[in-house]
Amino acid sequence: MSKAKQAFRPKLAQEGFLGRLSFFTARALANLRQNVFVSIVTVGTISLALLIAALFLLVYVNLEGMAEGWSDKVQVTAYFDREPTPLAVAALKGRVNQIPGTSKAVFVTQVEAEKRLRGRLKGQESLLEGITPEVLPASLEISLDRKHRDSAAVASYVAALKQIQGVSEVQYGEEWVKRFNSFMNLFRLMGSLLGGFLVIAVLFIVSNTIKLTIYARKDELELLGLVGATRFFIKAPFLIEGVLQGALGAVFALVALLACYFAFLKNAANFLGVNPAAAGLSFLPVPHLAAILVGGVLLGFIGSATSLKRFINI
Amino acid sequence: MIQLHNVSMSYQAESPALNDVNLKIPKGDFVFLTGPSGAGKSTLLKLLYAELTPTRGQVLIDGVNLSRLPRSQIPFLRRSIGVVFQDYKLLPNRTVLENVAITLEVLGWGKRDIGKKVFHILKQMGLEEKINATPLRLSGGEQQRVALARALVNDPKILIADEPTGNLDDDNKEQILSVFKEANIRGTTVVVATHDKRVIVNSHRRVIRLEKGRLLEVSDVQG
Repeated sequence: MSKAKQAFRPKLAQEGFLGRLSFFTARALANLRQNVFVSIVTVGTISLALLIAALFLLVYVNLEGMAEGWSDKVQVTAYFDREPTPLAVAALKGRVNQIPGTSKAVFVTQVEAEKRLRGRLKGQESLLEGITPEVLPASLEISLDRKHRDSAAVASYVAALKQIQGVSEVQYGEEWVKRFNSFMNLFRLMGSLLGGFLVIAVLFIVSNTIKLTIYARKDELELLGLVGATRFFIKAPFLIEGVLQGALGAVFALVALLACYFAFLKNAANFLGVNPAAAGLSFLPVPHLAAILVGGVLLGFIGSATSLKRFINI
Repeated sequence: MIQLHNVSMSYQAESPALNDVNLKIPKGDFVFLTGPSGAGKSTLLKLLYAELTPTRGQVLIDGVNLSRLPRSQIPFLRRSIGVVFQDYKLLPNRTVLENVAITLEVLGWGKRDIGKKVFHILKQMGLEEKINATPLRLSGGEQQRVALARALVNDPKILIADEPTGNLDDDNKEQILSVFKEANIRGTTVVVATHDKRVIVNSHRRVIRLEKGRLLEVSDVQG
């Protein structure tokens, strides 16, 4: 090598973190352009896989929301031997509110209870002949907050409630609470199982697609190694490419999900002849959407990283 | 300086591709490696750029023992060695310019310098008109010259070529050989594996002969 050549110092393109990042990003974008078909297949696969997962999530979230709505019916009623004075009612409410889990407590007087009974038996008033408000007990209707609606929490709440002086009986639809909770547990288990299988399937499909696309470019990987590229130099553009494909796939999946959501709601309204808003089917909340986007990016990144391992032998 | 000390190389469950080879190629030398197909020529070349590691013995490049070279250092060794592969290994979806530029991109060169240097070497090879063509649009001779340009563009200390004249006509062979000679004059050590006797005889260079994995002779050929 001549001295003149040794003295020549080329300007380096990859100096500093930003220099390297911009070089590798440019390389990744060039790769995407040069392998359009393969890139479309990868992005399409990621989109479809994420769309299926997102649709499942949408249905799951809505069903859980609906079930959570039913749990509002978990209500505890405390009956009193004698109707407490208004002053005592305030004191009782205060004590009830102190029990952890109380969301709302409404006092129902004997007169009000009788009114409700009459309302329910409209048209059969004869059954109520001779019945005075004194026959029915005054009560406190208590709503529980979300965290205290399972069987165990309700039972301990009821035990605490019974300690209050004047409370003669407590009713809370024990059987219903148990059934509802076992339904919710089954629902969550099924959801987790199905969701788990779906995630595994998505991982499998996406990682294999990326593996195939990288396999198609194994000559390029081999050549880069032979001309003296470091592992990082070979991997970086592929990883950035994976991230870009994953992000693009996730964006397409979300757009498709939005389209499916509106199309479904419209159809549901036509078929059922009801107001779709009343059905309560809502779009995924922002954290879930962000999770799908991050999921896409991670799928692209991890899929590329694991596939590259197999084809880089330096 | 390239040195091989008692080098043997076996692929799994096969007879050894190289058997107890001892060899010294001084800096700035130009040697031909010859022998029939399956003699171990390609294996020996692969040992030089650390694509393979010997089953036994040691390979030293400028005093560096390749068997003890950490994997992370192999890329830096390869940057000082230009290789012309038997199958060229050109990337079909990249232009001639991009194929040659790879060697300099790996070194971290800037775009402008890469452009200048690649254009210069392609002009030397008579390929300046084909700079934006993809390899599939080139003839065999042109593809070979692109592969040669990629190997030489960073002025390597060692140039290795595996059957570089295999599928070429006489004119192309001459052109390729003259490029090797020019590189050698500039100080590059050149190792060319070939079984083309005419190429060897016309070159007046040292010849290393291999047969069934054994080094048979090292001789100077007079034209």
